[in-house]
Amino acid sequence: MAEVLRSLRLGEGGDPARACARALDAAGVALSLLVGADRTAEPLWCHPELSARFEELQFTLGEGPGPEAVRTGAPVLEPDLERVRPERWPVLLPAARDMGVQGVCGFPLGIGAIRVGVLTVLCDGDRRISEQQYADATALAAALTGAFLNGTGHGNGEGNGHANGTAPRPDRIPDWPTGLNRPVVHQATGMISVQLGVPIQEALLRLRAHAYGSERPLGEVAADVVARRLRFGDDLDDDISGPYSPDTGKG
Amino acid sequence: MIAIARERRLAEIFVEVADSLVEDFDVIDLLHRLSARCVELLDVSAAGILLVDAHGELQIIAASDEHTRLLELLALQHDQGPCVECYRTGAARTNIDLTRTEVTAAWPRFATQARETGYVSTHAIPLRLRNRVVGALNLFQSTPHRLGDDDIALAQALADVATIAVLQQRTLEQSHVENSQLQNALTSRILIEQVKGVLAERWNTSVDDAFTAFRSYARARHLRLSDLAAQIIEGDFDTRTIPAPPRAS
Repeated sequence: MAEVLRSLRLGEGGDPARACARALDAAGVALSLLVGADRTAEPLWCHPELSARFEELQFTLGEGPGPEAVRTGAPVLEPDLERVRPERWPVLLPAARDMGVQGVCGFPLGIGAIRVGVLTVLCDGDRRISEQQYADATALAAALTGAFLNGTGHGNGEGNGHANGTAPRPDRIPDWPTGLNRPVVHQATGMISVQLGVPIQEALLRLRAHAYGSERPLGEVAADVVARRLRFGDDLDDDISGPYSPDTGKG
Repeated sequence: MIAIARERRLAEIFVEVADSLVEDFDVIDLLHRLSARCVELLDVSAAGILLVDAHGELQIIAASDEHTRLLELLALQHDQGPCVECYRTGAARTNIDLTRTEVTAAWPRFATQARETGYVSTHAIPLRLRNRVVGALNLFQSTPHRLGDDDIALAQALADVATIAVLQQRTLEQSHVENSQLQNALTSRILIEQVKGVLAERWNTSVDDAFTAFRSYARARHLRLSDLAAQIIEGDFDTRTIPAPPRAS
């Protein structure tokens, strides 16, 4: 996990939080990643200092758009906190008012059941979020999800059904990992999580690592898993097993 | 199907959809049923619905049947195919002959896979909301049979119903709410693919059979597919309570 965080930091260069806040035309932004077995939200970067304080507050209390976006996996948009029912976030709302936070939106980072973190955006005095801001924030959340998934040092080596000889580019925000649009990739991820007894997010990493290690497109490896031509087990070393390991005993 | 029977059937479908649009309805299941109705009413072989994601690419959200082969064919259209053209121009593309390479030259991969799946023609109908296109309805035929103007108008009506279903909670002037619903629907779709894999592995069945059992269980108990999927993946649901399909032989 630490490696992921480091690579993301390295990948951004400069102050990503400040750049994001400016790009989104927001009063502040904070990015937290979910770490460890209990998926604790760990702030990665914040700007300005108000954002850091608010981020800590909402995750300490477990109240607010950030924690709610993590729980539901859907964006939570409350650009005007004055209009939120007090009983929804009973402790957070008065505290936010004291801090001068007017509105907050939370954008989850993840793929399906895989939750990797949340981007919290503090709105300015307008107490609204424009269509452009929303589109930019979701695009940013998606790019950060991709960066996180690629940040393990694997991935980006997959073609997408057509030959693409591009080498991994570790020094910048990577593209959205290719192949994730294919249903078989998500099906294979589910199967591998059971085969290895690991959480779904780790299953996807193992699948991508295998594709990377065997220099095959992600979708192709996933199709082998779904067709039970390839099985992930503890006895199987992802990096050395051949792409067509004769594990067809099943099915 | 004779016209009057079809009109009655269409009216029934609108009532069915209106009844489904209660708070917290299951958008994936509703779109699946709509796709199945397209097959029935338009006399096509298969139907699928694609929605645009945060990257501006089309992603599959539902299909008339969940066979992975059909899902994979639809998924190819994240970057090429008639639905991409339909999405970009906002205009329907109908009666596309998949057997003529000059027609399919712009998207050879899609055309090849469609032919291999047994389809000879395809149609793409836009999912439109006011002046915005949010996705496309994709129809496939395995026998040569042209859709007439009436059929196409009907297909557009069904596509409009799908759009309403996806964006039903929209409030005035809040296009970000529309975007957020597209996003939620696509997240649910991926969750369902993930749970198919989990169940297929536990039960040692195909992902297609696993999904059939999963959906029957959810429907019988009025559970949303995505909610049940999330619980299963989180390990908060004992999957032994779901009757497993027969094992693959």
